[in-house]
Amino acid sequence: MLANLKSNRAWDSRLNEKKRRCNAVNKLANGKVLATDSFVEALEKLIVAGDRVVLEGNNQKQADFLARKLSQVDPNIIHNLHMLMPSIGLPEHLDIFEKGIAKKLDFSFSGTQSLRISQLLADHILEIGAIHTYIELYARLFVDLIPNVALVAAYKADRNGNLYTGPSTEDTPSIVEATAFKNGIVIAQVNELVDDEADLPRVDIPASWVDFVVVADKPFFIEPLFTRDPRLIKPIHVLMGMMAIKGIYAKHQVKSLNHGIGFNTAAIELLLPTYGEQLGLKGKICQHWALNPHPTLIPAIECGWVETVHCFGGELGMEKYMAARPDIFFTGHDGSMRSNRTLCQLAGQYGVDMFVGSTLQVDGLGNSSTVTHGRLSGFGGAPNMGHDPHGRRHATSAWLDMMQSQNPVDRGHKLVVQMVETFQAGAKPTFVEQLDAVEVGKESDMPIAPVMIYGDDITHVLTEEGIAYLYQAKSLEERRAMVAAVAGITDIGLGVDSKRVAQFRKEGKVAFPQDLGIQPTQAQRSLLAANSIADLVEWSDGLYDPPARFKSW
Amino acid sequence: MPNRDMSFIELSARERARRILDQGSFRELLDPFEKITSPWLEPQGIVPEFDDGMVVAKGKFNGKPTVIIAIEGVFQGGSMGEVSGAKMAAALELAAEDNRSGIATQALLLFETGGVRLQEANLGLAAIADIHSAIVDLRRYVPVIGITAGTVGCFGGMSIAAGLCSYLVVTREARLGLNGPQVIEQEAGIEEYNSRDRPFIWSMTGGEVRYKNGFADIIVKDSVNDVKTAIIQCMNKGLPDTLRSDDYDYYLQKLNAIDTSKQADATLVKNIFGRGDRK
Repeated sequence: MLANLKSNRAWDSRLNEKKRRCNAVNKLANGKVLATDSFVEALEKLIVAGDRVVLEGNNQKQADFLARKLSQVDPNIIHNLHMLMPSIGLPEHLDIFEKGIAKKLDFSFSGTQSLRISQLLADHILEIGAIHTYIELYARLFVDLIPNVALVAAYKADRNGNLYTGPSTEDTPSIVEATAFKNGIVIAQVNELVDDEADLPRVDIPASWVDFVVVADKPFFIEPLFTRDPRLIKPIHVLMGMMAIKGIYAKHQVKSLNHGIGFNTAAIELLLPTYGEQLGLKGKICQHWALNPHPTLIPAIECGWVETVHCFGGELGMEKYMAARPDIFFTGHDGSMRSNRTLCQLAGQYGVDMFVGSTLQVDGLGNSSTVTHGRLSGFGGAPNMGHDPHGRRHATSAWLDMMQSQNPVDRGHKLVVQMVETFQAGAKPTFVEQLDAVEVGKESDMPIAPVMIYGDDITHVLTEEGIAYLYQAKSLEERRAMVAAVAGITDIGLGVDSKRVAQFRKEGKVAFPQDLGIQPTQAQRSLLAANSIADLVEWSDGLYDPPARFKSW
Repeated sequence: MPNRDMSFIELSARERARRILDQGSFRELLDPFEKITSPWLEPQGIVPEFDDGMVVAKGKFNGKPTVIIAIEGVFQGGSMGEVSGAKMAAALELAAEDNRSGIATQALLLFETGGVRLQEANLGLAAIADIHSAIVDLRRYVPVIGITAGTVGCFGGMSIAAGLCSYLVVTREARLGLNGPQVIEQEAGIEEYNSRDRPFIWSMTGGEVRYKNGFADIIVKDSVNDVKTAIIQCMNKGLPDTLRSDDYDYYLQKLNAIDTSKQADATLVKNIFGRGDRK
C-alpha cells in the first residue's frame, strides 16, 4: 500500500462551502424565494471574491435583473470575479468590470458591446480567458471552468424552484447542470412566481437543481436578433440567394442545414417558395433545419418546404406561430416551443449537411473573421457549425459529394459556405491580404489569432461575382486563385488573371451567374415570397406578432 | 400566397407612374437622358441623378389625358431641390394652362418625400411654394389627386401640398406630417416624441389614423390595382364640394382649443379630429 501517498484533503469542501453560503442568507429568503429589494445583500453573501460566475446572457434572453444587481454589489466585498458569459449584450455586463467587481472574462459572442470590450481590454480593465464557440464554453463548464454560482433567467418559477423557460430555454439547462451537480449555487430571476408546480405551463428545469429564485423588477430583456425585415433585402441579396440555391443547395442536394442571420440567408429563405419552386426543388432540398425561428422562414414552412426545425433559442413574436406548428417545431406538452442551444449547436455541428454564414473579412486562403480593429465581437456558434467535424460518420449525398480522392478510406466533408459581398459598407474590401484578427490577437496577447472560420474548413465562397468551389482545389496556390476569382475588384480579386478564371469556369471550379443560367437582371425583389414584415404576418395567418420596432403601420 | 396583387410600395417612382397610366400610354418628359441634374449636390459630395428624383409623365388614365408626377423616395429621401421642384411646379402649371385652353388634363401626384432638400435650402423652398400655388390654380379645373403609399411618406412643405390636393389616397404604411419624427424629437425632446417608437409614430401620423381623422380621403391596401381603383373613385366624384384647405375655420377652432400643456397622443388627436364614420 502506498498509504503515505493518500491525500488528507476533505472531499466535500465545495458542498460545505455551499451550505455555509446558503445558511448566510437564511434571513433574506423565504424558502427558496429571495426578496427582490434585499437581493444585492443576498448576492454579497452568496458570491465570494474570486468566484467563477456564469451570468446568463444568451443570444436572445438576458438575465438583465441579475446583471444589474451584480453591478451594484460592493467591490470591497466582491471583486476579482471570473465571469463566464455565453453572450454579452447589455451595458451592465461590462459595468461589473469597470467597477472592479470582475476581472476575467470567458465569452462567446458580443454583438452590441464589441467596441467597449475592445476598449476595456486595451485599458487592462478586463482580461480575456478565451473567445469560445458556444459549446466549447459549455463544455469547459464541466471541465476546468466549473462555476461557483450560476445566474439564470426564466419566465416563471414555483415556490419550490421549478422553472419554466419555455421557448427561451436556450443555454439554461447546460449552465444549471454544470453548477448544480458540482455543488455550485443556482439563482434564477423570474418574471412571475406561482405557488404550485401545477400553475407552471411545464417544468423545464427541475426544482432540485435550483437553489434560489428572485422575482425581477421587470421581465427579462429579450433581443429579437433573428428578425430580418424583408424590406431591407436588396437585389444583390436576391442575386446571391438565387446563385446559392441553384449553384450549391440544388447541386449538392442539401437536405439539412443551418443559416446565419444575414440578409443573404433571409433572401434564400424567401426565395425557396418562388425561385426554388420554379426549379422544382421542393422536397429535394432544405427539409431539416438547425435554426433559430427566423420569421423569414414562415413562407417556406407554409408552402410545405420545411419538415423540421430545431431551435437554439426563441424569437420574439414567433411564439404563437410555433405553438401552432408542432409538426415543424419542438414543443412541450403545454404546446409552447422548447429551445436548447447546446443540443442545437450539436445538431448544427454533427447533424446537418451545411452551414452558411457571413463575415466581415476573408483572406486569400479563405480564413475569415468578424474581429476587426477596435471590434472584439466573438463568434457565437459560427466556428462550431462552420467547420467539418471529423468525428462524423453518417453519410449523406451532400457530405459524400465533397469527397475528392479515390482513397478507399477517405471521408466526406460538411459543406461550409461563406456568403459575402466583395465590399462591406463604406467601401471596405471584404477580401484582404491579412485579417485584422492577426494584429488584434498580437496586440491583445492572445495565443492564437481570433479566426472565426479557418480556410481549410471552407468548401464554398459565394460572392455577387460567383461561386468558388474550394473543395475542388488541388493545392493551396489553386485555392488562393479560386478565392481571387470571385473576389471582384478587391486587391485579392485583381491578383488572378482572366485566362486562369476562364479555365476555372470551364472546369466547374468557379461558376459565374451566367454559368448557372442566372441573369443578374432577373434578381428582383419581386421574386421574394414576402416583401415586408406585414407580408410575413399575412403568411402566418396572423399568428406571427412582430415586435413593435418592426411594424410600419 | 398573400397579397398577390402587385405591391405598389415596392415600385420605383417611374414604375408607379407607368403602372398607373393606361398600358402603353406612359411618355416621360425630361427623362434621365435629358440629364437635367441638380447643380448643387456634386459640390457637396453627393452623387446626383439624371432625373433629380422626379418623374414627370404624360399619358392616359382611364382613357383621359393625364399628367402624373412621381417623387422617387429612394433618392435623397425624395427631397425637393431646385430642379426636381421646378419639374413638378412646371408640370402642374402647364396642366392648368392646358385646362384653360380647353384641353382637359387630369393630375396625379405621387408623394414620397421628406420635404425640402436641405442641401438646396431656399431654392427648394421656393419651388415648394410654386407647387402649392400651381395646385391651387389647377384644382379649380380638375381634381388634383395625391397618393402617398410609403415607405417614406410625405413630410415638410410637401405635406402642405398633400393637404392642398382635392383628394388624398394613403396606405396604412404611409405617414403624413409637417415635421418628421427625428425633427420633432430633436426640437421638442424624446419625452414629447420618441422617433424610434414606431407604433407611437404610426398612431399619430400613419395612414390609417390620418384617414380616420379626415386628413386623407381613401385608404387602400398596398396594391397597384387598389390604388388605381381609388383614383377612379376620386375622379368620378369630380371637384369636391369643400376643399380641406378652405375649411380653415373648422380646423383653426379645433387647433385653438388644444391644451398644449398636455402630452399629445393618439387618443387626444382622435378626440379632436376623429370622424365617427371612419372606423
